[in-house]
Amino acid sequence: MKKGVSILFWGILLLNSFSGKLFATQENVSGQAAVPVSAVQFIPSFYMIIPFILLLLMIATGPVLYAHFWEKNYQKVSIFLAMIVVIYYLINDQMHSLTHSLSEYISFITLLGALFIASGGILIRVNKKATPVLNIAMLFTGAVIANIIGTTGASMLLIRPFMYLNKDRLKPYHIIFFIFIVSNIGGVLTPIGDPPLFLGYLRGISFFWFLQHGWYIWLPSIIFLLVLFFIVDSKNDKSIEKEYSGKIEFKGLRNSLFLLIILLSVFLSPSTINWLPGLSPLPFGIREIIMVIVMIASYKFADPDILTLNEFTFDPIKEVAFLFFAIFATMIPALEIIAFEAGKLKEGLTPGFLYWTSGGLSSVLDNAPTFLNFLGAETGRFAMDMNNSIQVHQLSIEHSIHLQAISIACVFFGAMTYIGNGPNFMVKSIAESSGLKMPGFLGYIVKYSFPILIPLFLIIWLILFGG
Amino acid sequence: MRSLDDVIKNKVNGLYYGNRVLLPFKAEILKAIIEKNIITDFSATHKGAHCTIAGNYTEIYFLDYVDLSDEISKYETIKLVLVEEGKDIFDINNHKKLLLHLKENHQLLIQEATEEILFIE
Repeated sequence: MKKGVSILFWGILLLNSFSGKLFATQENVSGQAAVPVSAVQFIPSFYMIIPFILLLLMIATGPVLYAHFWEKNYQKVSIFLAMIVVIYYLINDQMHSLTHSLSEYISFITLLGALFIASGGILIRVNKKATPVLNIAMLFTGAVIANIIGTTGASMLLIRPFMYLNKDRLKPYHIIFFIFIVSNIGGVLTPIGDPPLFLGYLRGISFFWFLQHGWYIWLPSIIFLLVLFFIVDSKNDKSIEKEYSGKIEFKGLRNSLFLLIILLSVFLSPSTINWLPGLSPLPFGIREIIMVIVMIASYKFADPDILTLNEFTFDPIKEVAFLFFAIFATMIPALEIIAFEAGKLKEGLTPGFLYWTSGGLSSVLDNAPTFLNFLGAETGRFAMDMNNSIQVHQLSIEHSIHLQAISIACVFFGAMTYIGNGPNFMVKSIAESSGLKMPGFLGYIVKYSFPILIPLFLIIWLILFGG
Repeated sequence: MRSLDDVIKNKVNGLYYGNRVLLPFKAEILKAIIEKNIITDFSATHKGAHCTIAGNYTEIYFLDYVDLSDEISKYETIKLVLVEEGKDIFDINNHKKLLLHLKENHQLLIQEATEEILFIE
């Protein structure tokens, strides 16, 4: 654990130290343009997508075909593949892309880490007999809460109670439907729900635009998944006759307050609060510093009994930290090539095209930069500037169908793979550490994502974006 | 020879050294969960875990680990599903769920898993 963290630390430090030259010229890295103009002009070699493809292949095949090697070396592999891209960009004097990705990674991992640690000190137990109806109620609650505390927060808070409720009849499908509903699709109604929407909000899309343009897709989609879940769960008759107190137990008030601090500090950005100082040229802001302080405090002051009952360990967040460090670095060339190609398409950027391409990419890439690149392509198409909040707001009103296609796809398709969204991997790790054997990367896609999600996504496309 | 019940009741500790765990009773291990690794194959001698009954104790080598204390945090446990030697392995009521906590000086605290712990057999 310590060794792994130090490898990641040195990896970040190396990237950061190389970036020193850029810091002198980069303006307000945190919360600024996702793809600087010069980054769009630079088109990386197509071969530079290879590290990213290799990483995805290894994430997919490692735990299945060479688990021993992968478990021991995934940290080194992640750093190595990331460094190939870093060195390429350094040689080509394209530091801004690296530092921008680094600042996004730091925002991503500090938020995820803070939510993970704070929720690890909260214990919710529903001491009732698990029934399909009760499970549906819990999943629906999770889908709603995901819009208030984010998909990551809702996942970390509810996965253990959901597993505990079903402990005598828990199967992988419980976890997978949880990932679909709570960790991804649920969070499409507000900018807090999922990071790409938050970035859209920071760029000028109004807070309630997502609710206004998303609820009538969200509700039938959630109902569709809950009905499917109900059918599957009704066939699960494995239960043990025992007495239940019927109580819902909640412990960890202190960490709940930390959770609240995290949620409030999400808005602490110079983009949303004018008087808030940026920390440029550092690749993080006050928000990230608060997140780190909350991480330390929520671990230090957590009730040890709750941590023991939750079997708190840093391993899931460590795994996410390494893999997503590599993903954030290796996806830079992929995203820049996509942005360039999308920019050439102009009229070809139909809602249907935007839906499938942004969704397809969000399945394996981080959905936040994917969203921004497609937003950039859209604003460029209508001769608008993505960094002008008035123009982005105008786009959201005049061309809402395009923006709707991107927003829905970036959030919904995150459920397609374990790496589509940050909490997916952590939920999987928590389930496995309790003894539940989960399907591998490909098993998840073949057995669950394709048969369940693709029909849903097709229906959405046909009704809304297929015309 | 100690029975599992004696060990739990009298809080007799086991031992661990590096990747080796020593349990002060004889048992057939059915499943081990260590971090997110779920091990059910104890026949291997090169990966997963290898288990033998020797003298009046049971020993498990977690072959994917060099030193368990480097990997298992203070709030984590090693989880075992086992059946005490001499008891009917096919009677599910004889399957016991144990939690192993790594303590100082190679001591291994052995507890029976309570309802509070998420532990899927």
